[in-house]
Amino acid sequence: MYINRALLLIAGIAFILFPMIEEWISHSGSQWYRPYQIWLLIIIAAYWNQRSRSSDEL
Amino acid sequence: MSYSLTQIVLFIVAYLTVLFGVAYLADRGTIPKKVTHHPAVYVLSLGVFAGALATNGTIELAYNYGYSFLLYYLGAVMMFVMATVLLMPLLRLCRIYQLSSLADVLTFRFRSPRVGAAITIAMCITLLPLLALQIQVVANSIHILAGGANFVESSGQRQDGLALLFCIIIIVFSILFGTRHVSSQHRNTGLVTAIAFESLVKLAALFILFFASIYGVFDGFNGLNEWLVQNPDSHNILDKPMRGDSARGLLLIFFAGAVCMPHIFHMTFAENTDSRDLQHSSTWGLPLYLMLLSLPILPVTWAGIKLEQSLPLEYTGLAIGLILGSTQISVAAFVAGLSAASATIIVTTLALANMCVNHLVLPLRGLQIDPDKNLYTQLKWMRRSFITLLILGGYIFHLVIGGKGSLSQLGLVAFIGTLQFLPGVVATLYWPAANRKGLLTGLSAGLAVWFIAMLLPIFSNFEPQSLSFLYPTWLEDTESVWTAAAMLSLAINTALFAVVSILTPAHAEEVIAADICSMDDLNRPARQLLSLHSPSEFAEQLASALGESAANDEVSRALTDLQFNSDESRPYALRRLRNRIEANLSGLLGPAVAHSILNRCIPFRPELHEGTEDINLIERNLDRAQMKFTGMAADLDNLRRHYRQTLNKLPIGVCSLGRDGELLMWNRVMENITGISAPAVLGSLLDSLPQPWRDILTKFAAGEEDSVMKLQVGLNNSDDKSRGLWISLHRAAIAASADTDSASAIENNEDRVILVEDISHSELLEEELIHSERLASIGRLAAGVAHEIGNPVTGIACLAQNLEYETEPTEIRHMAHDILTQTDRVSRIVESLVNFSHTGSKSGETRLSPSNLADCVDEAISLLQLDHEAKPVMFNNYCDRELVVLADSQRLLQVFINLLGNARDACQDEGQVSIAANRDEDLVTIDVEDNGSGVQPHLLNQVFEPFFTTKDPGEGTGLGLALVYSIMEDMNGSVHLKSPLGEGEFPGTRVSLQLPSSAYTEDFLI
Repeated sequence: MYINRALLLIAGIAFILFPMIEEWISHSGSQWYRPYQIWLLIIIAAYWNQRSRSSDEL
Repeated sequence: MSYSLTQIVLFIVAYLTVLFGVAYLADRGTIPKKVTHHPAVYVLSLGVFAGALATNGTIELAYNYGYSFLLYYLGAVMMFVMATVLLMPLLRLCRIYQLSSLADVLTFRFRSPRVGAAITIAMCITLLPLLALQIQVVANSIHILAGGANFVESSGQRQDGLALLFCIIIIVFSILFGTRHVSSQHRNTGLVTAIAFESLVKLAALFILFFASIYGVFDGFNGLNEWLVQNPDSHNILDKPMRGDSARGLLLIFFAGAVCMPHIFHMTFAENTDSRDLQHSSTWGLPLYLMLLSLPILPVTWAGIKLEQSLPLEYTGLAIGLILGSTQISVAAFVAGLSAASATIIVTTLALANMCVNHLVLPLRGLQIDPDKNLYTQLKWMRRSFITLLILGGYIFHLVIGGKGSLSQLGLVAFIGTLQFLPGVVATLYWPAANRKGLLTGLSAGLAVWFIAMLLPIFSNFEPQSLSFLYPTWLEDTESVWTAAAMLSLAINTALFAVVSILTPAHAEEVIAADICSMDDLNRPARQLLSLHSPSEFAEQLASALGESAANDEVSRALTDLQFNSDESRPYALRRLRNRIEANLSGLLGPAVAHSILNRCIPFRPELHEGTEDINLIERNLDRAQMKFTGMAADLDNLRRHYRQTLNKLPIGVCSLGRDGELLMWNRVMENITGISAPAVLGSLLDSLPQPWRDILTKFAAGEEDSVMKLQVGLNNSDDKSRGLWISLHRAAIAASADTDSASAIENNEDRVILVEDISHSELLEEELIHSERLASIGRLAAGVAHEIGNPVTGIACLAQNLEYETEPTEIRHMAHDILTQTDRVSRIVESLVNFSHTGSKSGETRLSPSNLADCVDEAISLLQLDHEAKPVMFNNYCDRELVVLADSQRLLQVFINLLGNARDACQDEGQVSIAANRDEDLVTIDVEDNGSGVQPHLLNQVFEPFFTTKDPGEGTGLGLALVYSIMEDMNGSVHLKSPLGEGEFPGTRVSLQLPSSAYTEDFLI
């Protein structure tokens, strides 16, 4: 199986930073759409990651 | 504000008609292909994941668990962002083997129709709550719209009649949508486009609610923020997320749902035509879509709180519309639920119907498809029936639960049910040791826990808290029940799956399938031989199971897919054809039935089941795969290519054979030598090669000799190049084990490699050298010849002068006789020379015939004696006058000229050269002995090499003995040299020739 190394790196970083992210999101008085900012970052990372792989791998 | 029931029903029918219109136009091609096949359409069709739980249920989740409602979306986001972990390998399997459902995949992996049937039944049961959820949302929404805000009093009532009405409508449309194509091989463009359209509608409807909430209820974003500041309790709902274990459990549930739910599986895999859509577009496209879809949920929830709406939380959208008195907002809220529910029902029932037909009906009927009726029509009707049954099943479940359980509860019941399939999916890709017994045991146990803890409480008074001894936190709250049920069922499922798989042996077929599923390269079948030899025989055999027409169609389709001709007969091609037919039938009838039909109708020959790997297929797949190998895989691939190129470009013909005689390799030089292209023969049996190569290679491969030094190839075409084709052959066994030697490998009938060398050029060169040597000999003899001819000519001249004056008739006759005698002598000399100069003409052909040995030796001696400048040695021919050998007399003459010439050169004046022969059964040994200087022992190994000579420069060409060796080999004889024979200055040399003995036939004697 060809598991993307960039993906593993991102997952690892996300795991390490998870407590900080959680605290940042639930910080009192924060904007309600904060989780969406993280979500958007995931989308951008996923988009960036797939750009480098353009061939049909089947 | 309320609407009449007729208005609402007409609206539903109109909406679904529009949806059907979109599907119809997409199928007809009115909507351009560049739109229907755009990656965005595929990504939007995956929005089927967001059913009524997303449009309605998440509002309740957000109210109760704050940000934790996002876990519903994030499970799917994780699955698609990490598509390479599960989705891509599954897509690869599904595409190659035409698998269209999870039951197909697990049946293919565990090679058992029972697995397929169990998965199908379990899937149908676990999906009933999901279907009931969709029906409940639409029925309640209709009721709310029809009854207005009065619903608050009747919220506990079931809307059974409305639900049934909706079910009937959706049955009709599901059948219209879902059964246009019978095979999963064809993308259902209409369905994909319609579901993508629904996803857009759903998103648009939720955004209408979003803006209605922001601007209609809060007067803009600032208003919302101010309201949140003024109402900290409402803002604080965000700060009461689930406990960590519950959140992780929920994430896992929805993560698994994104691959195990049949409707999502269907859209992700069965309707995918380009893996790039999944691998690239959906990894960011679907997360983006789901993010947009989830964005309105919190503002809508707060708007509901602000408006103090009294409807159940799931219908907040409708409530906002009704309270604000806005038709548009009400319709938008209704359409959001309707589009989500209809998409889920249509795709779910379609996927489940396919599973039921392929895994319940066809295997149970023992493959008794009526061959007289159209197969495709029968399948369509079966699917239609199941779609109807499944929707009615969902309706009955809706009746049975009697309104118990919220939407989120129903959704979770279904999602936790399908979570039980996750171990099977993961094991399919990552655990080759898993077996069917383990799968079924684990699944049964997991589903039993799910049934007791999740399903039973919905339609009975059973309280899962009574099982708190199993899971201590079970007592706490509803959240704990979900977590406990999910974790406990999954843990028991996985543990039993693992333990039983480890303890029980796997079936041989399962092991093969496990390899196929877990390897990077999916096509690794052993090279097996079929009993059938042509596609027409395939169709004939398949007709008994599929009917004549369908069998012909399937064989033609597979031939077209593979771009093979209908007269294809190569075993390699037929194996691929069989695989393709199985894959195509798998898409039509499911993998279990397809496998069974193929095993019955087109079986492999049992004696060859232990075949080696199909090298051609592996190489083809590796070459075609555009994977970016990294690390050692890349190194291995580079090595493979390097060795492949080395073999291909070797300046010697290489062909390798499987143990059954199948040609596995045919390099470029082989193509040049034989004039047969590699694609034409690779994968064929040796027997199918054109002549003369069939006979040459078959005999050599089966023979005892590992080498044939020289063989003339008789080709039919008469061009100059082929006329003189000479080859040498070498053979070696490719032993499976490095310790096995070649001889025993040949005996064991292992794979073999044959090297074919074109030696025509050197053969031609040799012939030219022989001719040159001959001419050189003639040149050396020229002086002697002149002298020999000169004497009789002088005699003739004298006789002619005397004849001029002679008158006596008796004397004249006497003189004439003398003249004739002298001319005879001249003629004999000339004839000998001419014969010798023509010896072995350039045709290169050796014509073996009975030849008198003594005569041949005599002629050689007389020719040599023409050379008066040579040393005067005595030649003694002791050969038996009756001894006849099988040889080419002209070439044999050349042999004796060379040998006797060498012997004479080695002797001193008055030396002795004797030629003796004796017969030993079928062989005649001729010894040419001299008392010359002999050959030094360290030179014995070199004397037969071309251009090796011990004579002074200019005296010898070094070709004499090399030619003797070559000629003797051509005549199936041999030559050996022994020296010294004695001691002293002139120890002598003996050259022994061996030739087959022969006898003159009667024709010859006459």
